[in-house]
Amino acid sequence: MNQRNWLAILAIVVGIILVIVGIVYWVEPASSLPGFFPGHDATNSEHHIKHGIAAFVVGLALFVFAWFSLGKKKSAA
Amino acid sequence: MISFFQAAVLGALQGVTELFPISSLGHSVVLPTLFGWDIHQNDPFFLTFLVATHLATAIVLFLFFFQDWMRIFRGLGRSLRDREIAPDDTDAKLGWLLVMGSIPAGVIGVLLEKPLRSLFASPTSAAIFIAINGVLLLGAERLRKRAPEVATEDGSDQRIARRLTWGNAFGIGAAQALALIPGISRSGATMGGGLLAGLSNEDAARFSFLLATPIIGAAAILKIPELFGSQGDGLRGAAIVGALFAAGAAWLAVKFLLRFFETNRLTPFGIYCIIFGITTAFIVAT
Repeated sequence: MNQRNWLAILAIVVGIILVIVGIVYWVEPASSLPGFFPGHDATNSEHHIKHGIAAFVVGLALFVFAWFSLGKKKSAA
Repeated sequence: MISFFQAAVLGALQGVTELFPISSLGHSVVLPTLFGWDIHQNDPFFLTFLVATHLATAIVLFLFFFQDWMRIFRGLGRSLRDREIAPDDTDAKLGWLLVMGSIPAGVIGVLLEKPLRSLFASPTSAAIFIAINGVLLLGAERLRKRAPEVATEDGSDQRIARRLTWGNAFGIGAAQALALIPGISRSGATMGGGLLAGLSNEDAARFSFLLATPIIGAAAILKIPELFGSQGDGLRGAAIVGALFAAGAAWLAVKFLLRFFETNRLTPFGIYCIIFGITTAFIVAT
């Protein structure tokens, strides 16, 4: 497998993680987020919707990168 | 609260300064203090008011470049379908450059907006950063990589797509995050970044305006619930007035700047920022 394919697979894995992180931000209040998440605040009961959107969008961007990387190369006309 | 007169002034100010490379946030912090108005940038009602003016600016930008956005969307769709960006597909390349530039600005904005706003909330620091913004604009003109491309038979989008790399777009997008500091201009950072990447002033301005639309629009849309929630009570009339003035001013500003940068540089804006920033820093500090 060439380097391009490895990068694409890495992008898919990280993308899946980021999409999950995004969902966690949406469903859990700031006080219930894992301590290493940006925005974790033991005294805050609000949801970090924007953090979730950012993680989700970056995850989607990585899927797009993988989509292009794993796409068939067209032969030169 | 904000009166209708204040809303009109602040709306027009926001519409102009959002697109001129002189920092809308910095001016909206400094000018109310200079006018003696009891409006502070971290007041919840003022933040809610800004949502309306930002949304108006984003809508105006989208409508101004509507035909371009339609071409860009089609280009993005083509490239996704073909799973490649064809070398001659300017619209697709430009579209993905804009996506690449929007991601770092959005992520950094989400993470750092609140801490930076509260850290640099005072009019004095905003005035100082407006002066620093002027120095950055003059520095970008001085340090630009190479002489700006002369106009060819290619259009602006072709030149942007040919000149900018993915790394350039990412860097220009990340530079937008500097604008989270009141006093540093988002459009100044992106235009300066474009110059450093080798674009002409005209092309850097065009790329800056295209890049502004998704980031300003998304930031405003995410905060719309505040405008229609309890924070917007007693403010919606002023917000509508401010939004209308912001829309009109933004339309005129983008028309003016696209023509201005065909033959001119960032230098006058840099000089203005240095003089205005230093002068107002002395006034508000004393």
